[in-house]
Amino acid sequence: MEHVLLLGELAHTQAEWEALGQYAKLSICDSPTKADLLNDFKGKYSDVTVIFHFNNSPAGGLMDKELIDATPDTLKFICHNGAGYDLIDVDACLKKGIKVSNTPGSVDAATADVNMYLILAALRNFNFAQTLLRQGKWNDGLGLSHDPEGKVLGILGMGGIGRAVKQRAEGFGMKVVYHNRKELSSELSGGAKYVSFDELISKSDVISLNLPLNANTRHIISKDVIAKMKDGVVIVNTARGAVMDEAALVDALKSGKVASAGLDVFEEEPKIHPGLIGLENVTLLPHVGTRTVETNTKMEMQVLDNIKAAITSGKVLNIVPEHAHL
Amino acid sequence: MSKPKVLLLGEIAHAKAEWEALSDVATLEVCDSKNREEFIKDLKGKYSDIVACYRTFKSVEITGRIDADLVKELPKSFKYICHNGAGYDQIDVAPCSEKGIKISNCPSTVDDATADVNMFLILGALRKFNLGMSKLRRGQWNSGMPLTHDPEGKVLGILGMGGIGRALKKRAEAFGMTVQYHNRRELSSELADGAKYVSFDELLATSDVLSLNLPLNPNTRHIINKDAFSKMKDGVVIANTARGAVMDEAALVDALASGKVQCVGLDVFEAEPKIHPGLIDNEDVILLPHLGTLTYETQKKMEIQVIDNVRAAVTSGKLNTIIPEQVSMQ
Repeated sequence: MEHVLLLGELAHTQAEWEALGQYAKLSICDSPTKADLLNDFKGKYSDVTVIFHFNNSPAGGLMDKELIDATPDTLKFICHNGAGYDLIDVDACLKKGIKVSNTPGSVDAATADVNMYLILAALRNFNFAQTLLRQGKWNDGLGLSHDPEGKVLGILGMGGIGRAVKQRAEGFGMKVVYHNRKELSSELSGGAKYVSFDELISKSDVISLNLPLNANTRHIISKDVIAKMKDGVVIVNTARGAVMDEAALVDALKSGKVASAGLDVFEEEPKIHPGLIGLENVTLLPHVGTRTVETNTKMEMQVLDNIKAAITSGKVLNIVPEHAHL
Repeated sequence: MSKPKVLLLGEIAHAKAEWEALSDVATLEVCDSKNREEFIKDLKGKYSDIVACYRTFKSVEITGRIDADLVKELPKSFKYICHNGAGYDQIDVAPCSEKGIKISNCPSTVDDATADVNMFLILGALRKFNLGMSKLRRGQWNSGMPLTHDPEGKVLGILGMGGIGRALKKRAEAFGMTVQYHNRRELSSELADGAKYVSFDELLATSDVLSLNLPLNPNTRHIINKDAFSKMKDGVVIANTARGAVMDEAALVDALASGKVQCVGLDVFEAEPKIHPGLIDNEDVILLPHLGTLTYETQKKMEIQVIDNVRAAVTSGKLNTIIPEQVSMQ
């Protein structure tokens, strides 16, 4: 008998969740803390076969090795709500024979919208302008900024979100170059020039971080890498805070090496480097990337589709790259 | 024969060389009148033989509006006002036309920068980013933030699909929006490029997002009034980068309070730099201090466009970009 455990809260798809009841026993996790959940995996959740995972589940948001190792042997799939799944130890899952799915595609438009908003805000210095206005100073002291038109946008990680960013950026007259682990087909890259990491870093006027966080990409934007960027570069991050060294960014903003930045994610969110708060030339959003009614609904539906596929066919629809070979 | 005299009303920041280069076809004067009274006096004195002027938006602080009273004081020689800006509501057109004075503005050079601001405001209003930014800076992260809305699949209604409106259409479509528009007259299919032409009332009734991109003149003042708000969809989002006075700002504040209007993004205000306090008190809305074209690249392009109009005026008697109301004068 399949048993699906919901780790988190559904916002929009209560009916569709309940419809899964024709295929499986459904439980909503009520363990208040991780310690409770560790226990409950030996008790009432000891026959769980599939987990519906949200990052903000109080007990099971962070599925580290300890928690993964404590899951029952019956657990076969963790179906994650989100594109980024860095809170799940996929290695530990691999060793235990647990497959993980995420929600690519459904996140693309909303995240790219935030991304483009941050690019505009950073280039045009809108944060400073809004602050001046609300202080009653109108645009006194604002100065001039820069048009996106004709500027080179370097996309680091041109997956679904990166390609959606490209589409938007070209609507503003930007020229797109990208770097990926592997060059994309010309169909997917849609005319964007593939460049080496070093060339992207040194030639881009605006750098957009759209790559997943994993052991290889932690602090890929380091102090040394920032030093190789163009003077006055603009950096935007809607990926994960930890792909960039936040303290190094603060230094570079203060020195003017980085003219402005737009961030939706932070290394230790919700904690933000205090150096960022004091700066006028940064736009800071509290990880709102996919926080719309339409996109949240799409994502939840996608997880439910993955769960249904897992239960009825033994295969998820969106297995994470690290498990694709299984 | 001496060269025609050209007067600079305001400042040139980026195209100083291009301005100086006009001296091959004109004698250049920089206006040093300190206020309207002095300016009127100088028009009878040292500026009494001016043929054309380059005026900036900010020069209104010296001369006041170019209204019927001021036009009366312009000397007989004064034939061309070359205005730096797309919107020229600081100038009363009718008295100028009556006196044979031609006016040029800056279409097209302003399009991209203004459309960029416009799209930013639409995104900011749909996604309530100002609320997010405020909460973050107050240490609340995103706690209590409502889920907002994607632009994808929404209908954007453009009121006034001129150059800026068409540049906005291009951007909005990159975000998956469907565009419809209302103009005084329907555009050619080439210019409309797939956007649906609708009546004013249909635009109000069927748009999820309404963007104001029309010029301010006696016909369009408060075109968005209390009555217009009542015809809009519940929860409509509005963006304005045109002129504040095309919309009744007090009525807008009421519509926000009632929830009729979900959120707005504004770059312009009826009595700027004064802003209705009901807007300042609203944390959801995106407010920018009229910076539509305030970039190095666009400011320079605009200055050159004005200088080129001045050159055309004094060498050929015709302006490059005469305002629509006066097309028949050339």
